[in-house]
Amino acid sequence: MLGKYCMLRKVTERAGMLGPKVMQTQGPRFWKALPMARPIWNGAISFGLVSIPVKLYSATVDQAVRFHQIDSRSGSRVRQKRVSEADGTEVPYEEIVKGYELSSGRYVTITDDELAALDPKASRTIDLLEFVDLTSIDPIYYDSAYYLAPDPTMAKPYALLLNAMTDAGKVGIARFVMRGKERLCALRADEDKLVLSTMRYADEIRDVTEIEQLEAVSEVELSDKEVAMAGQLIASLDADFDPTRFHDSYREKVQELVSRKQDGDETVLEAVEPADDHKVIDLMAALEASVADAKSARGRHPTGRTDDDDQEASARSRSRSSAKKAPPRKTAAKKVPAENAAAKKSTAKRAASRKSA
Amino acid sequence: MAAQRTEVEIGGRTLSVSNLDKVLYPEVGFTKAEVIDYYVRIAPVLLLHLGDRGITMRRFPDGVDAGSFFEKRCPSHRPEWVQAVDGPGDRGGAIGYCCLAEAAALAWAANLAAIELHAPMARAADIESPTMVVFDLDPGPGTAMAECAEVGLWIRDTVVGIGLTAYPKTSGSKGLQVYLPLNSPHSHEHVSSFALAVAQVLERAHPALIVTTQAKAARTGKVLIDWSQNSRHKTTICAYSLRARPHPTVSTPVTWDEVAAAAVGEPLSFESADVLARVEELGDLFAPTVTEVQELPAPRP
Repeated sequence: MLGKYCMLRKVTERAGMLGPKVMQTQGPRFWKALPMARPIWNGAISFGLVSIPVKLYSATVDQAVRFHQIDSRSGSRVRQKRVSEADGTEVPYEEIVKGYELSSGRYVTITDDELAALDPKASRTIDLLEFVDLTSIDPIYYDSAYYLAPDPTMAKPYALLLNAMTDAGKVGIARFVMRGKERLCALRADEDKLVLSTMRYADEIRDVTEIEQLEAVSEVELSDKEVAMAGQLIASLDADFDPTRFHDSYREKVQELVSRKQDGDETVLEAVEPADDHKVIDLMAALEASVADAKSARGRHPTGRTDDDDQEASARSRSRSSAKKAPPRKTAAKKVPAENAAAKKSTAKRAASRKSA
Repeated sequence: MAAQRTEVEIGGRTLSVSNLDKVLYPEVGFTKAEVIDYYVRIAPVLLLHLGDRGITMRRFPDGVDAGSFFEKRCPSHRPEWVQAVDGPGDRGGAIGYCCLAEAAALAWAANLAAIELHAPMARAADIESPTMVVFDLDPGPGTAMAECAEVGLWIRDTVVGIGLTAYPKTSGSKGLQVYLPLNSPHSHEHVSSFALAVAQVLERAHPALIVTTQAKAARTGKVLIDWSQNSRHKTTICAYSLRARPHPTVSTPVTWDEVAAAAVGEPLSFESADVLARVEELGDLFAPTVTEVQELPAPRP
């Protein structure tokens, strides 16, 4: 046994047991979801006098690419060992206990048995305590999501609860014990299943006064104009949230890099070039020329708000450019220049009469 | 009070409509029956422009003066002959917009007080391929249709200069919209960057008249060329759709000489009855936007 006060430290060592070919022979290994999900908790929902046997399945799958640590010189795996600071020897797992640091270097040790005795009611039940509106829960409290599935032979009470909760449109707040911790959770009906989200306790949410930088926000002055502009920007980006539109493109690049290396192609991906905005500029040149053409052809504002001399010249050049460039509707576009420059009135009348037709 | 329901037959479909006497345009007493009647009559031309697209319906259940909402997801209580299809906000059929493919479907939507029908740039069968470019000209404070018309003419002249044709329509509200048919493979990004380029060039050439930013403050006395309407997820009022204005005005395809007349101060606004008469006389001025094949300059040299 270790003494009452002890210090443990993780030390990273290079283990030379594995051969240098390890990378080539084993290839890349990504974490993959098992074809069938396995329950991570068994128990029952307790609701009034009813007990509904359920199994808990994780609703999320961690898709991060996992790497191992490898010694670049030998290609061998790097292993971690737990060693005692006292003499540098490895400490067997069964000799490791938890130590709570009282002050620097002073610990009180606590065994798993001691903790087990304190365990919150080692029950196997999800106790429904109350029902609330989903919108009344600040999303900051949500932790992990799980699916609840019934025991196939006991599907009826599950279906009944699902149905009742769907109709009520409420979220059940419940308590249950998992992995030695009493969890607060929100239970809700989602179409054909119950979904459980574990939640943080109120005292697990950091007090924002710990973040001094936030104080600067309250000192900012905003004009109505700025607020309106920001509001418009938001409105212009308004969308329905569709999670399938977003994906981890960095992970995909990592996997692609790994695949290439596996195939023996040692090419390292080059840094991505910044987005190409030349297309706008090149097109711009063509458009600039076109605008300049149109301007000099028209030679004036169609509304006559600017210089209104030289109407004939403008009519001439506009006729030419319209005829040459195959305008949308021959009758319409051919008329525009002449009418616009010389016969505004009659155009207006015709338009008006067409309108009333 | 229970809704008064009436069974009607439209194009071989039987449809139950309700509260036909309900006034949807209080200022002129235009009723739901008249809205349905307009949509059924305009159907032969309107369907060409929206019949194969996922439509966003803007519904005014209590008339144009009361609240409205945009309905993207096609209601589950739709008749079985109204299909839900891909629309501008869809990735993998997540939403399911209404496809109003026949007169009866338009009547059904009108019965839901879907006064405004907003269409995406692409057809449902290929939502990645816009079939046209749109320039949505929105008059800022102190400007009106005359300035929009003037900007519309500048856009027309500019694109004509690079060999493209453009077709104008009123927004049915205050502004004007200019469309370039494509009907050939283009990406939303290509079309957006083209529209942005045209807008920016014109803004530079006519800084006192044109802006390209949404910011309200910058828009006084100017016309906004809203190029961003070309985004994949955006919709623009469909040609021949009614608008929820005091009068039952319509987003109306017009000729360029009407636009030129508007630029010198003639009014350019049409109500449902005018539009039905125009279609009778002029046909569908917007038909080329779904048939004419054009190609934008390549995005790269």
